[in-house]
Amino acid sequence: MKAQIDSIKQAALAAAEAAQTVQELGEVRVRYLGKSGEMTALMKGLGALSKEERPEMGKVLNAARAEIEAALDAKTAVAREREKNARLAAEAVDVTLPGRKPVRGTLHPITRVREDIVKVFLGMGFEVAEGPEIESDLYNFQLLNVPKDHPARDMQDTFYVNDSFVLRTHTSPMQARMMTTRKPPIRVVIPGRVYRSDDDASHSPIFHQIEGLAVDRHITLGDLEGCLTAFAQQMFSKDTQIRLRPSYFPFTEPSVEVDVTCAICGGKGCRVCKGTGWVEILGAGVVNPAVLDMCGIDSSEYSGFAFGLGLERIAMIKYGIPNIKMFYENDVRFLGQFNGEVEK
Amino acid sequence: MLAPISWLKDYVDINVTPEELAAKLVAIGFEVEGIEYQAKKASLVKTCKILSVEKHPAADRLRVTQVDVGGKTIQVVTNVPVEGGEYTAVALDGAVLADGHAIKRGELRGVLSEGMFCGPEEIGLSAADIDGQKEDDILRFPEGTPLGEDAAVALGFDDVVLDVSVTANRPDCNSIYKLAKEVAVALGTECREPEIRYEATGADVGDAVGVEVRNRELCPRYMAACVRNVKIFPSPEKMRKRLRAVGIRPINNIVDITNYVLTEIGQPMHAFDLRYLAGGRIVVRNAEEGERIVTLDGKENKMTSSMLAICDAEKPVAVAGIMGGEYSGIQADTSTIIFESAKFARDSVRRTSRALNLRSDSSARYEKGIDFASQEYGLKRALTLIYETGSGEIGKGLIDVKVDYAEVRDIAFTTAKIARILGCAVPEKKLVDILSRLGIPVSKKEDGTLVAHVPDARSDIDGVNDIAEEFIRVYGYSHVKPTLFRHSGLTRGGVPADIAFRNKVKEELAAEGLSECITYSFTSPTFADKLRIPADSDLRKWVELVNPLGEALSVMRTVLTHSMLEVLAYNAAHFNKSAALFEIAKTYHPHSLPLTELPEEREKLVIGMYGADTDFFTLKGVIEGLFDALHVKAAFGVSGLPFLHPGRGADISADGTHVGFAGEIHPDVAEEYGADVRMYAAELDLAALYGVCKGGCGFKAFSKYPPVERDLAVVVADGVHAGDMIAAAESAGAEHLTGSDVFDVYRGAQVGEGMKSVAMSFTFSSVERTLTDDEIAAEMQKILSALESAFGAKIRA
Repeated sequence: MKAQIDSIKQAALAAAEAAQTVQELGEVRVRYLGKSGEMTALMKGLGALSKEERPEMGKVLNAARAEIEAALDAKTAVAREREKNARLAAEAVDVTLPGRKPVRGTLHPITRVREDIVKVFLGMGFEVAEGPEIESDLYNFQLLNVPKDHPARDMQDTFYVNDSFVLRTHTSPMQARMMTTRKPPIRVVIPGRVYRSDDDASHSPIFHQIEGLAVDRHITLGDLEGCLTAFAQQMFSKDTQIRLRPSYFPFTEPSVEVDVTCAICGGKGCRVCKGTGWVEILGAGVVNPAVLDMCGIDSSEYSGFAFGLGLERIAMIKYGIPNIKMFYENDVRFLGQFNGEVEK
Repeated sequence: MLAPISWLKDYVDINVTPEELAAKLVAIGFEVEGIEYQAKKASLVKTCKILSVEKHPAADRLRVTQVDVGGKTIQVVTNVPVEGGEYTAVALDGAVLADGHAIKRGELRGVLSEGMFCGPEEIGLSAADIDGQKEDDILRFPEGTPLGEDAAVALGFDDVVLDVSVTANRPDCNSIYKLAKEVAVALGTECREPEIRYEATGADVGDAVGVEVRNRELCPRYMAACVRNVKIFPSPEKMRKRLRAVGIRPINNIVDITNYVLTEIGQPMHAFDLRYLAGGRIVVRNAEEGERIVTLDGKENKMTSSMLAICDAEKPVAVAGIMGGEYSGIQADTSTIIFESAKFARDSVRRTSRALNLRSDSSARYEKGIDFASQEYGLKRALTLIYETGSGEIGKGLIDVKVDYAEVRDIAFTTAKIARILGCAVPEKKLVDILSRLGIPVSKKEDGTLVAHVPDARSDIDGVNDIAEEFIRVYGYSHVKPTLFRHSGLTRGGVPADIAFRNKVKEELAAEGLSECITYSFTSPTFADKLRIPADSDLRKWVELVNPLGEALSVMRTVLTHSMLEVLAYNAAHFNKSAALFEIAKTYHPHSLPLTELPEEREKLVIGMYGADTDFFTLKGVIEGLFDALHVKAAFGVSGLPFLHPGRGADISADGTHVGFAGEIHPDVAEEYGADVRMYAAELDLAALYGVCKGGCGFKAFSKYPPVERDLAVVVADGVHAGDMIAAAESAGAEHLTGSDVFDVYRGAQVGEGMKSVAMSFTFSSVERTLTDDEIAAEMQKILSALESAFGAKIRA
């Protein structure tokens, strides 16, 4: 029996040696060590031996079995490693091939700019309000110190619905609506669509503004400048400066145009700022006391400032958009470009 | 307002460059929109003399000329029929003409040409600008003109003209003289007064004409003067050049003088031919209702009783402040003129001008507002120019009919109040000095209060804030330093819930891959027909503009889908293979028409898409995704909307509230929009959606035991909706049912005609334990029974 054990062991070891793959090695294991394997069969044959022979042969058999197992284990480990490496090599992909991107949606640049601006003013204690786009003449003009037939009406080409109603020409009527319904302190920004019957290369009959209004016991032109500086530095860059120039709006006095240092050239002078280093971005001023009084706020006690800016203009400066018409064509190749940005 | 610098220099010394002057004007509130160098509209166009002319060897119509350009002779090939000896202008090699065209030396049919002869257009002028210049001819200069000079300069066009934007509160500055005063303030120098100097030698004006003003409110002041033995001739060159520089065509000395005074003093004038003033009378009165007048432009106007007319003893001879009648103009044989210099009410001129659609330089000026001092000043200035030019004999005296008015308005204030408005220190001496330079004297009361004495011409100044502005615009805004609510408390701020909701919807849709678009709020009334909206629909009740930019932009939209379809069609036509878009905007719904109160403005969401991978379920999936994010459970039912595909449209409701629709656009409608793709659109009412939105999320326990899935395929009639089956299954009383879905629908011979098999999968789980097979079988039986009783469903064999 010992010779038989030895012979099977030699055969098993030879088979293990010859096997190359994990699968072949497995087959060898089954053939010799499996339930009905040759070594197992010998094991079963032990019972037929005499009591004296049995322990001796058992030992020999176990040693042979262990030897085969060890050989198979060692060989299998190597084969497994080799096969894994082969598989990994086969699985290599061209990592420069494009990935599968989920489709990204985008918010309109006007919405982006609007929300950026709103955020700045929320931080300074402003609330957000909106108002009707079809407005009464009273709120759009009269309460803002622009009576009927006043030359200041020529400043804005108005779409009329009839004598009493217009498409609002600015977001300013909400100033009057806020002041007639609220008590100071008032700090509010009012974004929205506005309309003017102006349609050429640089004008759109529909555009967007954000109005700002602050009314309290002692608000100064300096506070306006401070607020707008914070806004400009948040919107454009930390070192943006602003400049006030005298201007005229019926509902503010004094009235100013506000310029910012050109975001493109940083104030050195370029085509965008026409060489001046400054870009006009908004109109503003101290709320005209006549407007406060008309809206039921005592101008001897309260003062305020107001400003209004065009979102298209800000977006054009901020993103370098060359033509106002693009905002309303809604070509997906335009819209798809405004997919967020990182603040620096 | 065009302001030639040479004209400003009549009244103020200017020793800075035009650019520096412009910057200084901007700093005190006068935006300069352009600086025109008359001589620089073209470059390198020089005076020259044609020395000789020969025929071109290869072209009959061309001539080869030798040209003296001042110390140098060049060869120019031209098609102009020149003969030699002419003094004209030539654009040299490297010249840039007024239209931007560049001139280069080169060969013309094999012969070198080193320049091009120029007409007025090439240097930015027109034939009318130059005395004796023929149309379509090259420029002609007199013999002996220096050669090699700038052609424009040689013609006397060497001024620099500022285009100053005058704000509506400063009507006074629509005049050279008042603008010169501001220039003086900007430059810190003095301003001279226009010269008034004439001798009145003729009979008194009162002998020629009588003036009666019947409506003092619309005509607070009316002045008149008389000039006899008028001689009509072209104005002096200087006057003509200045008028041209400000865009006014010179006509003759009398008309030019009225225009000159309008520009210089800002006072509109009119010269009546006395022959056509019946009865030698001027009556300023309201027109009679329906009274007619043919104006100088040949137009017949029907006036109303609210309009002011200048009449003679019989009839209107002018529409007050706007335009004279057809016979009121100056003619070659005019011998006696009556100058009118009046103040008409701003609003009245504006209303009348708009009502009659009649405009003139005069009405434009009156509409801006005019002060009381200008009538006398303007009239005397006109008479001075009559005298200077020898245009006639000035009658003695002036007629002056006027209301009482305050020449000066007093405004009391303190420097502290000014400082409180501006937020910067206000030195009293500086303040007083600046105001007096602006022509506003200041006195001080015993209690220290200051009083500004504001002349009538500064109608814009009526309170302390105006004084603050006058001070700071000259003192400089750089003195105001930025502060952040130095004297105010904190305020809370925030975003109202409806705006925050809209922002969330936008963000969710962007997260689902849709891009936001923005379209016009007004559109063509044909949109309702395009969408086949029924004739009696409320969607056809819209707000219409009285002055739209065109019919295509004339009504305020009542639906957004129309605009979205236009955008989809636009993109499809512009090389974009697919698009998935949305817009949130308002629709406008009048309570009554014509509008007597603000209409309802409803915020809507529209979604639109097309593309190879897009179908009804893409659109529906986007909406379901949005609803998930909003914690809204929606039900989709078959829609009968006329613009949707009859089998692919759904009405959407949530909590029993109708919130909108979704579907494929009917091919006939798509064709109306010129789209050759299948378009999908949904429109939802944002307020309704907000109403059914349950708000936030909350934690719900989930099972740690394995869920069990069971599939069920049943056969039902083809018309049964899968959504209804799922709803029935979910309400069948299976208490551990946590998920249900349809994963296959099959139609075919195996299930029989008019039937379909619907395969559903159901998920069961309990948070407490593993469910037993018996429990699940019982629940599946409940589901099956529900399906059987509701739809006659049979288990598929």
